[in-house]
Amino acid sequence: MGDALHAAPDHGPKKRSPVSTTLILFIVLAVMVAAFSVLSRDFSSFLNISTMLTNISFSGIVAGALTLVMITGGLDISVGGNIALTSCLVAYLYNLPHPVPGWALVPIALALGAPIGTFNGLFITRLDLNPIITTLGTMAVTRGLGYVLTKSRSILIMEDVTGFIGRTVIPGIQIPIPLVLFLLVFIALFWLLARSKFGRKVYCIGANQAAARASGIRVKRVKFLLYLMSGVAASLSGLILTGQTAVGMPQQADGMELDVITAVLLGGTALSGGKGTIMGTLAGVLILGVLYNGFTMIGFRYVHIRVFQGILLILIVALYEMREKKRF
Amino acid sequence: MDQPLLEMRGISKQFPGVQALSDVSIDLGAGEVLGLVGENGAGKSTLIKILAGDYRADQGDILIDGRKVSFQSPSDAAGKGIRFIYQELITLDTLTVTENLFVGHLPRRRWSGMIDWRAAHDQARDVLRGMKIDIDPRTVVGDLSVHQKQVLEIAKAVNKKATILVMDEPTAALGEEDTRSLFTIIRGLAGQGVGVIHISHRLKEVFEITDRVTVLRDGRKIDTVKTADATMTQLISLMVGRKLEEFYPKRSIPPGETLMEVRDLTVNGILDHVSFTLRRGEIVGLFGLLGSGRMNLLRALYGLDSVDGGSILIDGTPCVMGAPSAALGSGIGYMPIDRKLEGLALPLSVSANITMAHIDHIGSGPVLNRKLEQEKVERWVKDVSIRTPAITTEVNSLSGGNQQKIVLAKLLETGSRVFLMNEPTRGIDVGSKVDIYQMMEMLCEKGAGIVMVSSELPEMLSMADRILVIAKGRLTAEFARHEATQEKLLQAAAQ
Repeated sequence: MGDALHAAPDHGPKKRSPVSTTLILFIVLAVMVAAFSVLSRDFSSFLNISTMLTNISFSGIVAGALTLVMITGGLDISVGGNIALTSCLVAYLYNLPHPVPGWALVPIALALGAPIGTFNGLFITRLDLNPIITTLGTMAVTRGLGYVLTKSRSILIMEDVTGFIGRTVIPGIQIPIPLVLFLLVFIALFWLLARSKFGRKVYCIGANQAAARASGIRVKRVKFLLYLMSGVAASLSGLILTGQTAVGMPQQADGMELDVITAVLLGGTALSGGKGTIMGTLAGVLILGVLYNGFTMIGFRYVHIRVFQGILLILIVALYEMREKKRF
Repeated sequence: MDQPLLEMRGISKQFPGVQALSDVSIDLGAGEVLGLVGENGAGKSTLIKILAGDYRADQGDILIDGRKVSFQSPSDAAGKGIRFIYQELITLDTLTVTENLFVGHLPRRRWSGMIDWRAAHDQARDVLRGMKIDIDPRTVVGDLSVHQKQVLEIAKAVNKKATILVMDEPTAALGEEDTRSLFTIIRGLAGQGVGVIHISHRLKEVFEITDRVTVLRDGRKIDTVKTADATMTQLISLMVGRKLEEFYPKRSIPPGETLMEVRDLTVNGILDHVSFTLRRGEIVGLFGLLGSGRMNLLRALYGLDSVDGGSILIDGTPCVMGAPSAALGSGIGYMPIDRKLEGLALPLSVSANITMAHIDHIGSGPVLNRKLEQEKVERWVKDVSIRTPAITTEVNSLSGGNQQKIVLAKLLETGSRVFLMNEPTRGIDVGSKVDIYQMMEMLCEKGAGIVMVSSELPEMLSMADRILVIAKGRLTAEFARHEATQEKLLQAAAQ
């Protein structure tokens, strides 16, 4: 185990790596921010930083919840479909002949993630199905339902019902609401993972599921709750996205799973489980967000960045793998 | 004696920290059945794995028909006509008997190169008939019984022109009748000049089928005797041979009242109405051979394996069964046989491991009280004398003995009253063993009860107040410590 992420007092320092991975990541982040600020005058403008952080919040919330899932050795790739379906559902309900009132849309949207997460969790824990395949199925189902619900069109949300969540800034300090939500979610997840009994169980399961079970940890229950959490986090994200774009469309958040998985892996969570921290994932989503935004600002197009991101994902995994083996 | 078919001369093999074999020589003649016996860990498997080309010997030679051979890999051994039948069968369960029999060289039609199924099934039928085996070649192997699969493996081996057949515990999963028909087949093969090495714990069978027996103990060859001249007692004393070591604590706690009562515990096909009691301050040893169900019993008691019937009472109160969390809740703790598999989360710290089975009790509410955890862990590290640089050290980097003590500390931290210990001192150094024995003694002083499985007879005889013998899933005998001897135990278990 070549990184120092577990160097948090409760998981033991790794004498092999004197510098923590999270620290390295934050240094990389600082260097990137500095570089982009020099390369593009607009990068460091208030408007751009605000937009960037709002975008980061949107995928960050999902990545945060996914971190816990991945520490247990699981995966949830249904998040993109989940988000799309949330946005479609909100738009659909709002455009019914007797529209669902705006105040009710928020809890309804949030509640959508629960059955999706429950579905994933039940199949993965009770039937012991492969999480990638299960959530791949859910991904297709949710996105497909989005198309069904909207008849493959984009449905506009004319009045500002969800815009409060997606587009408002806290007056005075000018902090966008999504960023506030993102920070709250991360503080909660940090506490859960690093300070609670539940978090310790998550690590135990990831490090050795059989030993966790033999130690009386209710492995299935813990994992189920994590998939549930991932589902709810995705629909919260979906709500933010709907607010930002004021439209419900089934193509929303296309390829989202790639973004969040890249961020979580970049943050030092091991695909094999047992390792990872919320601070690492925070660094991961910030780096990825800055990268996207920065490259856009200096003139790259989305499609180019996409290619680069795919390569980056493989590079990250390769680097961590090498670090693991050679212990550098 | 003529030129032997197979000779293994002066074989030595060392693993890190263990001399698995030292200077072992065996020989096998054509048409002979040689028994290979010894306690668990005597070196039988290592010897066979060297013959199979799975391991390379550090020293010594293998000669076939008087010619020195060198096996670099399992296929080399196969090339010399040596076939192995292991306890765990390697049949292709989704294919038919015919396909299994001719795997890789099914007969083909001349022009098209397609498989000639009719010819294949006919040939298969001939092979099976030749060995007096009654199986339809079109059957899917997954539908066969264990015995039929075993017979199929033998047929496969023979069909590929075996000259030497090595069978490792072939009867472990077989009933009386199937064993008998297997022996008929073995005798038939020996009659055709095949040399057979038969490894078994069941001494009765060894007497039935072998011509000579080689006894191994602690990696050395003790003797080779003619089966006809040997007696069961003689063989057992050759296998056991050593004196009780002196490092066991002097056990002197009189057991108190009944702590746990197990009634008719049944796991279909594995455990058959097992009932026994455990008293306060008592250590009950479970003795049985490989596959007897001794480990399944511990796993079933702890809820790691599902149970088909029976009940457990602690202090007269029935326990919820079926999950480790429930067992822990009733005061039953478990020490797994393989600490790396079910005991430890290796990448996590000493702290995290010691509190793993008791997390819900470290602090109130949902918060993990890290200060309390630190205090508890530091106390255990001292009490169980775990040698570690810090309690935050990764368990991965510690020695086997210290890892085992962490498993013990984890068990003690649960505050259980009944401790199920599966090979508590397996593969650790003598010093750590003594520490663990002393902790067991201390637990008994405090009124806990221990059920222990151990393959080390001296350990069993010195630590257990009572020894229950289990064979084929049933308790077959019970001995108090003063009346148990290694011979008696082996005899009761080898039925």
